[in-house]
Amino acid sequence: MDNMENVDNVENEVVTKEAPLPGSASQEEIRAYYSPLRYGWGAFCAFFGFSTKTHRASKKRAKLVLDIATYIILLLGTFIMIYPFWWMLAGSFADTLGSGSTDLFYQMVWWPSKSTTQGQSGDLFYNYSQVLANCFEPPASGIPEGYSYWRAVLNNLIYSIVPVVVGVITSASAAFAFSKIEWYGRNFVFFFLLAAVMVPGPSVMITQYVMYDTMGWRQNGLALIIPGLFGSIMTAFFIRQFLFGLPTSIVEAAKIDGAGYFRIFCQFILPLAMPAIMAQGLLSFMGCWNNYMGSYIMIDDQTAWINLPHAMYIVQNQLGENQGPVIAASVLCVLPVMILFACFQKLIINSLMLTGSKE
Amino acid sequence: MDEKATLSAAEEVAEEAIPVEGAETAEAVPAKKKRKPINQQKLQDNLWGWIFCLPLIVGTVWFVYVALVMALMLSFTDYMVSEPLMEYLFTLGDHPAFYYDKLTQVNVEGADAWYKYIFAYKIYIKEVASLPGDGYRVEMWYYMFNTVFYMIGIPIGMILSMFFAVCMSRDIKGGNLFRVLYYLPCVASSISIVFTFRILFKTQGVMNQIFGLSGGEGQAGFAWLIGDGNQTWNDIAHKDIHTEFYLNPFWCQGLISKCVIIIMSVWKGLGGTIILYVAGLSGVNAATKEAAQIDGANGWQIFWKVTMPDLYPTIFYNIVTAVIGGMQIYAEPVLMYNESYLTSGYVSLIWNKGINKSDLGNAYASAGAAYGMFLAVIILVLTLFQFWLDSRNKD
Repeated sequence: MDNMENVDNVENEVVTKEAPLPGSASQEEIRAYYSPLRYGWGAFCAFFGFSTKTHRASKKRAKLVLDIATYIILLLGTFIMIYPFWWMLAGSFADTLGSGSTDLFYQMVWWPSKSTTQGQSGDLFYNYSQVLANCFEPPASGIPEGYSYWRAVLNNLIYSIVPVVVGVITSASAAFAFSKIEWYGRNFVFFFLLAAVMVPGPSVMITQYVMYDTMGWRQNGLALIIPGLFGSIMTAFFIRQFLFGLPTSIVEAAKIDGAGYFRIFCQFILPLAMPAIMAQGLLSFMGCWNNYMGSYIMIDDQTAWINLPHAMYIVQNQLGENQGPVIAASVLCVLPVMILFACFQKLIINSLMLTGSKE
Repeated sequence: MDEKATLSAAEEVAEEAIPVEGAETAEAVPAKKKRKPINQQKLQDNLWGWIFCLPLIVGTVWFVYVALVMALMLSFTDYMVSEPLMEYLFTLGDHPAFYYDKLTQVNVEGADAWYKYIFAYKIYIKEVASLPGDGYRVEMWYYMFNTVFYMIGIPIGMILSMFFAVCMSRDIKGGNLFRVLYYLPCVASSISIVFTFRILFKTQGVMNQIFGLSGGEGQAGFAWLIGDGNQTWNDIAHKDIHTEFYLNPFWCQGLISKCVIIIMSVWKGLGGTIILYVAGLSGVNAATKEAAQIDGANGWQIFWKVTMPDLYPTIFYNIVTAVIGGMQIYAEPVLMYNESYLTSGYVSLIWNKGINKSDLGNAYASAGAAYGMFLAVIILVLTLFQFWLDSRNKD
């Protein structure tokens, strides 16, 4: 594109060699052909980057106009993508307790502000204090004994750190075996695992439920921990793709120096594949943090092992019209993931891009 | 330390593999030392290959393959969750014969009883009561219809994300920033998004204000959500048509509520697809593009003739995964509207029949398993169909 610009025009210009009129053209046709209106329209179009028969628009101008249009479209899209989050944040400060005080809740809010009839406390952070102090306490209907908001956060952290950290390492070890070690049955095992991706989760949901129920994992939260420890196939495939990009000579050299495979894995592969491992780990962390369905189906809701989204669902059912604390809880649920994503966005996006280009 | 440990472990294994009579005199025989390095290397490769893979293999076999086979067997039996079958199975209790019999015991009404049940079980649907018939319809098709209806979001999302991806991969400043911003909904938890959208789409909510549909004096606002009013096709567009078909057709019930779910899932899924497309677009051959430009092709022609063929694998991958994921929709409609035959996806049936006790009076795991197997077959057929289309396309 860049070297094209050197050859091509950089300024709008009038086309001098237009297709000639046929000799039989009448006087009106010739007048219309050279009319100032036609040329004016051409100049107008060229100003906005569109070439016509009379004027050729400059490449630079065309690019500029297209860039502006692109920015407008993308900014509009950004507004659509971001505004619900902004509304969530602003709406979480609204007062929804008093009757007729929900005006702020049902408006295009641009800035968090106190509602006019600030119900009970006059506190801007009333909804948040409700979430942290009252809403998740056991007396509320449906919430199990021994539960609180901080217990929900703790559960969420357990469910999303333990299986993810262990699972990513087991996935990485499998990926190492698939990419850098020659062993009997490697291809068979690979396709055996690949085929498992095709099995839809809901189809085996029943037997998984029965398994966890029988082993008592529904009552102590292990149902959301143990399966994750074994690693995930898609994670292993992704890290495998990444490891294919590393030179095998590293492994060979380490082997000649007398290092065993375990040592090679710990000291070479794990550090070298750290970007891929981190990205996959972060993505699974986010997935586990938001895992409503897993907790709803697999965890006994009479125990204190339900996770945060599940508890939010129970709480909002009994809050009824008072949706302010629900939105505040939503903000608190989204915030950690957002912060994490903001910190590691480059890593995550690049890893996703790699997935896309490898397909 | 590690090195020594691994080496000695490998040696142990190597020596185990050696025939027993040679094992005692391994050091004394010089001929053996010649072959030993090769064997050891191969043994180590095999040993560590399997060891490194073992967790993943165990997890996959246990939680996918064993679960799948058990689900298949269960679907032909008559097992309830409250029965102690699995206890026998996993504690390997005193009666191994019992659990084997139980698991393979064919349902008394015939092995395919639950499969028949899927296509025969009818529920009363008040929306179709005015149509010919008694208002009892096969439940499964309603849930399946909802699931398929939600897939309208797939082409919409495809086109939108392709459009935005093309915009982003132009040579502009800040393209990466847009990518990050558009990906934000993907990382947010669906429950927070549902709670937010439920209020944004209320009758007096923000969406109606933007589009001027809030209503006014004596006029009700536009009802998006199922709780905010009854929305038939009549209410929306065909107020004058009072034929039997348009009066209460089943497919128009809760139509707008379903559209809200589609809007939400398109909005949530857009960022992920955009990133895949941007990655695909960056892989498009620039030289070919330039050549086409010199030959006088315009941007539109370049897009269709050069970019699209290069992008085809990405599009195909996206469609396959979107269809597989779309068949499994469950949480969003249920969170938004609770369980309802007007909005819930097919997976709701698996949960309601197999695990939740409210529906059949007891949790018939076998019924849920049968529903699950039917879903697996549908997804398999859909995927194979797409791959068949793909292979036809390539010829």
